[in-house]
This record gives sequence, structure tokens and C-alpha cells, in this order.
Amino acid sequence: MDLTYPPEVADFRRELRAWLSEQLPAAWAAPGFWATLGEDEAFDLRRGWERRKALAGFGGIDWPVEYGGRGGSATMAAVADAELMHARAPRSVNPLGLTFLAPTVMAVGTPRQKAEILAPMLRNEVIWCQGFSEPESGSDLGSVRTRGERDGDEFVVNGQKVWTTSARRADRMFALVRTDPAAGRHRGLSLLLVDLRSPGVEVRPIRQMSGISEFGEVFFTDVRVPAADCVGGLGNGWATAMLLLSFERGSSAMGQYTDFRRAYDQIVEVARALGRDRDPLVRQSLARRLVELECLRYHALHVLTEVERGRDLGFASSVTKLQWSQTYQDLFDTLDEVLGADVGLDQPLGELGDLDLTALRRESFWSRSVTIWGGSSQIQRSIVAERVLGLPRGS
Amino acid sequence: MFFDLTDEQRALAETVRDVLADRCDLTAVRAVFEDTDGDGHPRELWRTIGDQGWLSVCVPVEYGGLGLGLLDAQVIARAFGAGVVPGPWASTVLAGEAVRRFGSSEQAAAVLGPLGAGELVATVALRGPGGGFGRTGIAVRASPDGRLHGMASGVEYAAVAGLLVVAALEPGPAADTRSAAGRRTADQAGVAGVGVDAVVADRVGLYLVEPSAAGVRVAPQSGFDATTRLAAVTFEGAPGRRLPGSDDAALTDLLRRGAALAAADLVGIAREALRRTVAYDIARVQFGRPVGSFQALAHHLADLHVAVTMAEHAVLFAAHAIDTTEQPDTEQPDTEQPDVVLAVAIAKSKASDTAREVTAAMIQYHGGLGYTWEHDTHFFYKRAKRLATAYGDSGDHLAEIARTAVSPMS
Repeated sequence: MDLTYPPEVADFRRELRAWLSEQLPAAWAAPGFWATLGEDEAFDLRRGWERRKALAGFGGIDWPVEYGGRGGSATMAAVADAELMHARAPRSVNPLGLTFLAPTVMAVGTPRQKAEILAPMLRNEVIWCQGFSEPESGSDLGSVRTRGERDGDEFVVNGQKVWTTSARRADRMFALVRTDPAAGRHRGLSLLLVDLRSPGVEVRPIRQMSGISEFGEVFFTDVRVPAADCVGGLGNGWATAMLLLSFERGSSAMGQYTDFRRAYDQIVEVARALGRDRDPLVRQSLARRLVELECLRYHALHVLTEVERGRDLGFASSVTKLQWSQTYQDLFDTLDEVLGADVGLDQPLGELGDLDLTALRRESFWSRSVTIWGGSSQIQRSIVAERVLGLPRGS
Repeated sequence: MFFDLTDEQRALAETVRDVLADRCDLTAVRAVFEDTDGDGHPRELWRTIGDQGWLSVCVPVEYGGLGLGLLDAQVIARAFGAGVVPGPWASTVLAGEAVRRFGSSEQAAAVLGPLGAGELVATVALRGPGGGFGRTGIAVRASPDGRLHGMASGVEYAAVAGLLVVAALEPGPAADTRSAAGRRTADQAGVAGVGVDAVVADRVGLYLVEPSAAGVRVAPQSGFDATTRLAAVTFEGAPGRRLPGSDDAALTDLLRRGAALAAADLVGIAREALRRTVAYDIARVQFGRPVGSFQALAHHLADLHVAVTMAEHAVLFAAHAIDTTEQPDTEQPDTEQPDVVLAVAIAKSKASDTAREVTAAMIQYHGGLGYTWEHDTHFFYKRAKRLATAYGDSGDHLAEIARTAVSPMS
């Protein structure tokens, strides 16, 4: 065990902190600030901020320099995640591109794709969304029906994607499309890059239970996609998709911890303000939440160690997903216990002072989604049971 | 940044497991478990433990030890848990820690050499009958001349120990409650509501006592976890040698080390119980297929794997926190700061809950077989059940976490 950061990481942290304290508007960190803005206004602010951050050299921390990154280590990237959360900097508006598409293109993209996709993504010139789920294809990803028929140098795409995060604001989509219906379930798929400004694309927002619309449905009617915009090889979409999903792994768990810890600290503040911190059951509930949160931090440090050693986490990343999603969701059950009988009021009367519950409330509804997307908890448990514990496949 | 065991620690873990599998497999454990007339101390195994250096892991090099820390000790503790191994290893190591941390150099020289070599069985007597872990649970009083009066309960292997470390209340230097120090001590004792004049400002001292001395009576106590033997110890004017560095904080420190070692034993139990359950449910066929292929079992086992993994991390972090708090890095580098109070409470709470849940599932997923005396499941279940309360149960540690992270209160 050695939990000391190497000097170059410590230097990097200082540099990033200094830049953040100079560049991040103080008003943005005020509780409830983002809730006062309209969705479009908030998006534009965040898009511009992230672009400035990249131009200042704080984007793509662990990306190779040749792709416009900083060439840093996974530890530096984790430290950056944690510092950005700590400073209450806004979250990325391009998370699906940055987390999934970028490392996939680095691994299997053509030289032209690397040049066209990577650096512009860092500067937020192109916002990406993911097109995997369909109405009849959720956890069972191999069943996608959206079709791409070859027509000369192009594919003609028809079908529908759903649960598309940022659909309304994205410029392009990386979509899993059936390009050879005659081949087997997993064999006839390709990963295509679709320009959402093309004729034949229709985007409809989906209003979530929190009341806001981060998701959408995307309909394709004879949308033309150049054949050169296929990543990872024609008919090789299943392997490419699995590679892509494998990049959702723990080096971001440090940032998640910092983010969730902030929510936890706010819940503790609410409990103190309402005098609920003296209730023994509330105290025990808050203590249990901290046990799981701190376990997530330890786990993040362990995962970081594995990544730095060049180890493939493989199916163990399902353990990370189960831990963070359950921990996060449980925080808000404890918030309900804290609020007690006033839980149904948007802003309970009492000694809350300038504590604003709007953001916590929004998070509490959002938290119901985290055990569904990115592989539901039931899928993750099956993966852990079969691939980690070695139990026989269920029927 | 390195959050893992080192290669040396992994090799140690492997050695301990191999040696224990060879010298104390579950058949040997059962023999000890069922030998209700015996003292539960397998002496041949003890010689091996001494020869292997597993008792000297925390003993300083100057006394012939390995001079390592709790992080290394927890590696051994985990293997003992995984093997539900009987014997006074943990109690001896913990007694050694008390002497190393708070004893005089003469005491350390006299005790730690023989202790590390396996020539001295030692244990700790920290609580009275029905008492909890902490100063309010102590039922032994020390007179100014070092004579002890009172009783300790649930003392591991007292019947075979050559040395006891006994926690006793002694009249503090500030029995005068009008002084600030006296009031502070009284507050710490948690005696709110008692009239100030009635408060006797006791403090805690740790004493070395030989069980063979006049005024010491050791009476074995029967218990369901026969992998660990317990005894009540009565002191009637027994002579004690005070550890000069001991006080309330010393007791807290010792309890923390005890909690970390117990948590390590618990995660060892939990990991092994899970491994055995998975193996059984792969082999056991019902309805024409392995029962482990049913999601009702498989998904719960997956959740348990997540819990055990987190408990393992928490135990590592707690041991690391104890080691680094004892020897802080004076250069203040950029580091993931360990808060030792939180770290130990988190580890013990998580390990206790997890080991109880996994060993209960072990019984359930072995079906009727798991409920029999003949099967080994109950060794794991019973050891977890006892250790879950050792050095504070989950509720005690959650209360500690709440005092640290939510608000002080009581």
C-alpha cells in the first residue's frame, strides 16, 4: 500500500487547481445555480466551458499527445476528475464520445477517423451520442433491428433508436446497425457514425420522471451514411461494441466518489439544519451510506492501481458498476429519511437557511436510472455470477 | 499510488494458507471443535506458527521480530479466518502490540522475544461481564500499588495463556473534579447526568498479569464458536505491572488494532465461505441442472461477491491507516489521507455485516446439508457470528462513524 501520488501528479493537481480558481466563475459553484438556468442556456455554458478547458490543456488528460491529449497517466485523469468535481465544475456535455467512442477510435479507427474525430471532440466541436438501445432491444443488445443497406459508397439507414442521452443536442451518433440481415445475430452488425443533421433524421425528446429531457428517441428514414464512416470494420460491429463498452470502467470511479460524496455532505447538512442528525435511526442510516461511499473510494484506488499496471479489468468492471450505482441510489433513500414527514414538499419549511433542495431532488429521481443504463444491475449480476464466480449460465 | 498487497505480502498469504491447509485442515479443525474437554489450543500447530514467524510479524527487529505492521498481520489474520483456525494467534499478537506500544523497554525486552518465538501465549482482558468494548465496559479496578480487583469476561485463551494484558480503571490524577482536567475526564467517561461531586475521574491503565499469580482465577466459559476458547478471569488483589505508556488513548488504540485484526479474520471467513458455496452450487444438481445456474441464487452470490470485495478493500485501508498514523510521513506529500478513526470503524462494520450475511447464505445455499453438525458450514457461521461483535459490533462502529461524520452527540 502506498497512497501517495507521484510528484508529477501532485504538480499537475496544483496546476489544475490554480487554473480552476482563476477560470471557474464563482457563481457557478453556488448551490442551485444550474437549476436557475434553462436547459439550453445551461448546455451552451457547459459546452463553452469544456472547450476552454481543453484549449488550456486540461482536456484528454490521459490521451496520447498525437490525438490532442495531454499524454498523462490514468492517475492524472482520475485526479482531474476528482478536482473538477471538488471545484464544482460542470460535467462534460460530451461524456459518451469521450468515454466510449474516443478510446475505440484510438484502438481500431482508421487514420482519417482519428484525425476527424478525436481532436474536434475534445474541443466540443462535435457532440456525440450513442445509438445502441432500440424499443425491442434493451439489455439484449444483439437483437438490434435498425438496418443499413449498402448502396454504392453509402449505407441507407432505416429504423429507430431510443433512450439516447443528449439526442436533442448531439451532432453525431455512433450507432449499432444491422448491415447484413442474412448473417447470424451477432455477425451482421456494424458500428456506423451517423450525422444527425442528415435528411431523414428525426429526434423526439423523452421527458424523464425528474421532469427534464436528457433522453430522446431518434428515427431514421433513408438516412445516408458514407461507408467510410464505419468504425472497426464492416460486419464487426458486435466486437467493436463490446470493445467500446469495456471502456466504461473504473478510472472514473474517483470522480464519481467525489461527486457522490458532495451529495452525501449536502444530505448531512440538511439533516443538521433540520435537527434530524440527533435521530439515532437517521444517524445509523447516514453512517451506513458513508461505509459504502468510502468503500467505493477504496475500490476506485484499487482499480486505478490495476489500470496503472496495465491490467485488463474485464468483467470485474461489473463489480464497480454494482457498487457505485447502488451506493448512489441509496443516498437518496437516506435523504427521504432525513426529510421525514415533509418529504413530499419541494421546499420543506424549517431551518434550511439557504440550503436548496432542488438539485438534490433532481438527483434523487435521476438516481433511479443508474441501475438501468449501461447494463442493468440484473445484467451486471449475471456477468459477475457467470464470468467472475464461474457459476453455470442460467437459462 | 498503489492500493493492493505487495508481491511479498501475496507470497506470505500463500505460504500461510498452504501451511495451514497442510497442518490444520477442516478435519483437524473439527477435532479441536469437538474436543469440548480440551483447551482448544492445538500445540503442534502452535510450534509451526512460532517457527514460521507469524507471531513476530509486528515485533520490532531489535527483539528478534520481523518489524512489520498491521498490514502484514492482517494478511495472516485473513488466512486464519479462511481456515477457521483455532488457537491464540490473534490474542497473542494483540497482547504483543500493547506491550510494544505502551510498555517500558524492559517490559518489551522481557515479553516480545518469547512472544514472537512462540514460547509465550498471551491474551487481552479488556471488558467485564456484559460490558462492551471501551472504558465503560471495564470491570477491573487497580489500586495505586498495582493490585487488581474485579472481573473480565470472554477472554480468548486465558486458560492457556502465560500472560494477560488487563484493562483496569485507576484513580486519575485529577480525582478533584473542580479542576479542568478532572471535568474533561469525567465528560469523556460519558457520565452525563451524574452529579459532578459524585464523579470519580478514573482513567484507564493497562497491566501485565501472570495468570498463575496469587489472586487470579481463570474459569473457562463455554461458547458456540469452539474454534476460539474463552474464559472468565477474576482478580482478587492480583499483582499487575503497569504499562507506563497506557491511558485511555492506549485502550482506544488497542481496540482499534483488535478491530482491524478481527475484521481481517472476518473477510477471510467471508471470502472462503463464498468460494465454498459457489463450488457446492456448481456441483449440486436439482431440476436437471446445477442449482448455481438459478438466478435466485446466482444474483445473490454476485451481490455477496461485491460486498466481500469492498470489505477486503476496507480492511486493507484500515490496516494501512493504523500503520501510517503510527509513523506519519513528515513531508506531507500529496496523498489519500487516511482518517484512522473512520477507516477502522468502516472496516469493522462492513466486515462484520458481510461475513454474517455470507455465512448465513452459505448455510441456506447448502440446503439441509448446511444445517447439519456433520457439515463444516457451521464453523464459518459461528466464528463470524462471534467475531462480528468482537471489538465493537457493526452498530457500535456505525455510531462511531456518525459521531465523526454527522455530529458529535453522545
